[in-house]
Amino acid sequence: MAVVYMRKLEEEPETYDSKFTALTKGVNLKVQEWVLDRIQDPQSILEVGCGTGALASKMALKGADVVAIDKNFQMINYAMKNYPAEANINLLYQIGTLTELPVENNSKDIIVSTFMLSELRPLEQQIFLRGAWNALKPNGRLILAAEFIPSGFWKLIFKIKRWWFKKKMRRLRLKSTFLVKWFFNYIEPIGFKINARKTWKHGSIQALELVKVNDGKTDVPGYYRPFSKRFKGIRSQLRIYRCLFTGQIDRVPIEPGIYQSGHPNENSPIIVTTNYEYTYIKVMRSLKGVDAWVLCVDSNGINVWCAARGNDFGNAQLLEAVDATGIHKLTKKKTLILPQLSAGGVAKPQLPKNSEKFPFKIVYGPVWSKDIPQYIKERPARKPDSMKFAKFTISHRMRAGITHTTFLLRKIFLLPLIIIAALLLALNWSNKLWWIGEIFVWIILTNAIIACLFPLSNFTRKFIVKGIFFGVLNIIVLGGISWMLHRSLFFLLWNLCFYFWIAFFSTMSFSGYTMSTSPREIQTEYRLFSQINKILLIISLIFLAFGIIFYII
Amino acid sequence: MTELKADQSSCCAPQTIKLPRIFISVSACTGCGLCGELCPFGLPQPNTSEKYEIKHPELCTECSACFRNCPTQAIMMQEQKGCGCLWDARQRAKNPGSNTCCG
Repeated sequence: MAVVYMRKLEEEPETYDSKFTALTKGVNLKVQEWVLDRIQDPQSILEVGCGTGALASKMALKGADVVAIDKNFQMINYAMKNYPAEANINLLYQIGTLTELPVENNSKDIIVSTFMLSELRPLEQQIFLRGAWNALKPNGRLILAAEFIPSGFWKLIFKIKRWWFKKKMRRLRLKSTFLVKWFFNYIEPIGFKINARKTWKHGSIQALELVKVNDGKTDVPGYYRPFSKRFKGIRSQLRIYRCLFTGQIDRVPIEPGIYQSGHPNENSPIIVTTNYEYTYIKVMRSLKGVDAWVLCVDSNGINVWCAARGNDFGNAQLLEAVDATGIHKLTKKKTLILPQLSAGGVAKPQLPKNSEKFPFKIVYGPVWSKDIPQYIKERPARKPDSMKFAKFTISHRMRAGITHTTFLLRKIFLLPLIIIAALLLALNWSNKLWWIGEIFVWIILTNAIIACLFPLSNFTRKFIVKGIFFGVLNIIVLGGISWMLHRSLFFLLWNLCFYFWIAFFSTMSFSGYTMSTSPREIQTEYRLFSQINKILLIISLIFLAFGIIFYII
Repeated sequence: MTELKADQSSCCAPQTIKLPRIFISVSACTGCGLCGELCPFGLPQPNTSEKYEIKHPELCTECSACFRNCPTQAIMMQEQKGCGCLWDARQRAKNPGSNTCCG
């Protein structure tokens, strides 16, 4: 629900409590009561993510010995200012992060954390659970409250509300919180069991009490391993299409963690990749059952190349993945094979050396997943050119064309075309609906032309020039087809500017797919592009309108 | 090419120094060849003195793979944040300072 918005409130500690209460419609106070109810005797408590210290001071006043940490300096500062005036209370505020809890092992009776889980990525949640397990005494309790996804009808309402707040966050240029999706899967493998549970607002806010399970066999928490995901058959093929058709808009994450190809043992190689579903399926299929561990780092469901360039696959994510999955406990191998294209984000010299948490050295494998089996077999010191060059071949161009067409339709054309269709129907001109179909055909054809003939524009690196080239080409091809269909010079002339614009725009937008575009080039070109684009778009729309008015009607 | 403009207020006419987008320092390069393995376009190539050299810096896409991973930091480049995607450029033009790619 609305917890996404708490990132905005966190900027002002003074008003945080009252605004957050308003945002959750008072549920956060009920959560606090519930938590306080579960603390009877004076006990040793750690609160993680204490915020303004509202709950921490209440627990301290109840007689508990409280250490409260938060990573936000402003929040800690504010909490200190409001330190309770009563004497004889044990309350300590500290700046701290959850990855390294500032307490000794087996030292706490209770760990409390409210509304913090949604700030954590899936692997961070696992690291936090493991840290909490270590810090708790045997049979210690972990009390959590967070925003979860409700089930059934309320899920829909929840998603709509969340979408609304996410839009608001984007306008405020703030990152939104994460959805706590898979949390319940982690509880048991890491070594907790649910003792009590209370839900508010149809399950969108839940409080949990987990008890540390220590069967005496080990004194370390377990690791969570996601179920292996199918990568063969019709369903996975449909997932591939889903990724292709929604590329550039949707992130399609799978659970990050360790997956298996074939039956790997402790001597099998470790392949690292991202948790984009398309990437996962492609890698697993390319491995063809070769025995290997596949470690999916948490890149937010973005492919390797884009994630590496956009701070979603770098040293931080790699270290986090190794720490959270404990892959070093599984194998004797001391080498991670990374995709070559991740080198744009991972920096080898800055990785820790001989560290206990990261006892690996890394090598960069091939660009394309299809070369992985050969790479594993031969382990060449110098890769052949076919393994290391990012070529924009015809099959890549076709896929780029499909993705881009669906992207244009969904993001730009869908709404205007629906409105025009509704208008045509309302005016009782349903026999003129072909015009909309024709626009669809033009969009698809234009993208097919660009995808097929892209190498023709290799004479320049300037995308504006490429755009003009394809614009002219489009006028010739689409103009020819339009002439054959309608035999009307009048209609053709009104449409020409639109043909030019759609090709110009699509070519510019193709820049991201080619892999050989530099950010500096495209960023310098962008200003001129957006001016040309605006002018062209306005002229096209006016001319299109004339075309409709004079020809169709 | 990156243009560095000299201070306009100086007495002489503004000078423009042209730096290549990326180059490998001859003295620091040990010829290990890692950059050649990482570049998706095969730009760094060994030369006659067994060091690596970038002959066509204008083809570089500034992915920074070689720059980040060079063990002796022999590669000089001005890293530009972002990827070669139009939508990323749009976001950066609208909201300078943001560093979130793809959404």
